[in-house]
Amino acid sequence: MLGFSVALQPDVLWYAFLGCLVGTLVGMLPGIGPLAGISILLPATFGLDATKAIVMLAGIYYGSQYGGSTTSILMRIPGEASSVMTCIDGHAMALKGRAGAALCIAAVGSFIAGTVGVVILTLIAPPLATFALRFGPPEYTALLMLGLIFLAYMSPTSLVRTLLMAATGLLLGMIGIDGMTGHFRYSFDIPELGDGIGIVPVAVGLFGLGEILSTPSRSVTDRVVAPRFAELLPTREEWRQSVMPIARGSVLGFLIGILPGSAHIISSFLSYALEKRISKNPQEFGQGAVAGVAGPESANNAASTGAFVPMLALGLPTGPVIAVLMAALLIHGVPPGPTLVNDHPEVFWGFVASMYVGNLMLLALNLPLVGIFVSVLRIPYAYLYPLIIMFCILGVYEVNHSTVDVWIMLIMGVVGYALRKFGFDPAPLVLGLVIAPIFEMSLRQSLVMSNGSWTIFFQRPIAASLLTVCAVVIGLAVLSLVRSQMDWRNSIAKDL
Amino acid sequence: MDRKPLMILRQVTVRQDHISGGAFVIAGIIVFLLSGDLPLGSMAMPGAGMMPKLVLVLMIGFGLALVAQAHKSPPLAALEWDDLPHASCVIMAAAATTALYNLLGFRITMALMLCGLIVVVERQNILRAVLFGLGIPLFTDILFGYLLKSPLPRGTFGF
Repeated sequence: MLGFSVALQPDVLWYAFLGCLVGTLVGMLPGIGPLAGISILLPATFGLDATKAIVMLAGIYYGSQYGGSTTSILMRIPGEASSVMTCIDGHAMALKGRAGAALCIAAVGSFIAGTVGVVILTLIAPPLATFALRFGPPEYTALLMLGLIFLAYMSPTSLVRTLLMAATGLLLGMIGIDGMTGHFRYSFDIPELGDGIGIVPVAVGLFGLGEILSTPSRSVTDRVVAPRFAELLPTREEWRQSVMPIARGSVLGFLIGILPGSAHIISSFLSYALEKRISKNPQEFGQGAVAGVAGPESANNAASTGAFVPMLALGLPTGPVIAVLMAALLIHGVPPGPTLVNDHPEVFWGFVASMYVGNLMLLALNLPLVGIFVSVLRIPYAYLYPLIIMFCILGVYEVNHSTVDVWIMLIMGVVGYALRKFGFDPAPLVLGLVIAPIFEMSLRQSLVMSNGSWTIFFQRPIAASLLTVCAVVIGLAVLSLVRSQMDWRNSIAKDL
Repeated sequence: MDRKPLMILRQVTVRQDHISGGAFVIAGIIVFLLSGDLPLGSMAMPGAGMMPKLVLVLMIGFGLALVAQAHKSPPLAALEWDDLPHASCVIMAAAATTALYNLLGFRITMALMLCGLIVVVERQNILRAVLFGLGIPLFTDILFGYLLKSPLPRGTFGF
């Protein structure tokens, strides 16, 4: 009741709507994702209270999952990485004249999955937060290590590359004043670096500017398959075919969303693979199978909701977007974690309730207004990317009114371009940057508590359990590495 | 004479992971050397330098691991650099914009950047580009200044 009393206030509703609208646009437009969108709009929330800020920014995140499907279905270009699978069957449906049905199924599936996700979040987050009150520095150290190792294991790029990116992010996060001793680290007498490197310049540089630098200019023109409003409703048979994929996608997506990593992307891939495997007509996949749209779209929305569970209950970011949302809460003086539910119940419950409302808004936005969104897709890329660069510079500058941040963004843009060229995923770098202060502080406090003994991590049951899981995951990864090495040697031996 | 070792030697090519892994190793070593004045402290009271140096050792280690398994990565010559000229123009435009941002203010700087990129780099219609380049910064300035209550910087010319 507290949550809805907060979420249904007119000004909170307005910011939820704004977030959903921006999120839909950001999700639709290739080249700019929710991370860049949230980072750019973050400074605009400084004048708002924490509830409105997080409602708007979160709306961008889950709104982008809805918006990504529009471009995938109408143009076969994924607006968002999590909409890649929707391109396959969604566009095939559009070519058969069923674009409206595909959009409707994607939107309704996203709504149901998002709502299911919010219900589960409502049930799980408070007891998990109560449990997390038993966490001390050793438990947090072990939890964050598990998060990083899990991220490395689940990452589509190699384990070594992911760990390398995470280590780089941790190092960047240590720039500035050391919290325990007051030493300046790697600030090179630049006053602005005394506070460290902000997440916004790094995130916008790597994901916003880096993406633009990697994308040669092209025009987005007449490949748009525009549906008519009258064709939006699926047939009864199409609804019947979408029910179980939506249900499976919702559960699968939420469970994967809790795990660290690019959960919304992984969940959509897994959902597609699952639906194809259990389908009675797998040959239909790739030709316009309804399940190929319903499953992945539901999964990515449920995953984006599930990703909030560790952030709200444990203060643990599971991906770069959640990390920026965490940073937003911290900027507004509301630390996410086990104390959030008790200390700031209006923020927690208001945010959860706004997600129910936001999902309804997105359903209304994505169907009747699809014609307007289609016209946005016709903006030539030659005009679009300079606009995105403008918002990148503007957004980053507005955080601290400092051009040093903008220069950092430009440098990170070049770094992002180089990383993409050499096949690195920048996401673990951002995660490492965000968790670096918490991780370092927890580790150092643990060693102070134990007078320098590392056994403290094994003497405490929760920390020991988490580290055991770390060891198992590392073991699995090493096993997989050894197997691939042996396969390579065998293939070389055969060639010789 | 056994030609197999020679054949293998001729087949060794510079691969992408040799370069990327090597870059991280070199960067790690340089930063480690720059960390010389940070105190390590002790295990019971870790100093400001302990965590960075630990992470740097891990970074160098991972970089070496990447170099060690570089045989799995594509050759360096396979990298395509077609997008480099465009990327260079974009980054130079953005850098010039940043350098002039406080001097000229949001509206003028962004108008110059938008028009420059659309007309010079993308070779689009001049009139349309100028209208776009002037209108968008003006609209954004009004949006941020009045609706979002976050006024954008004015330059030395006052607008």
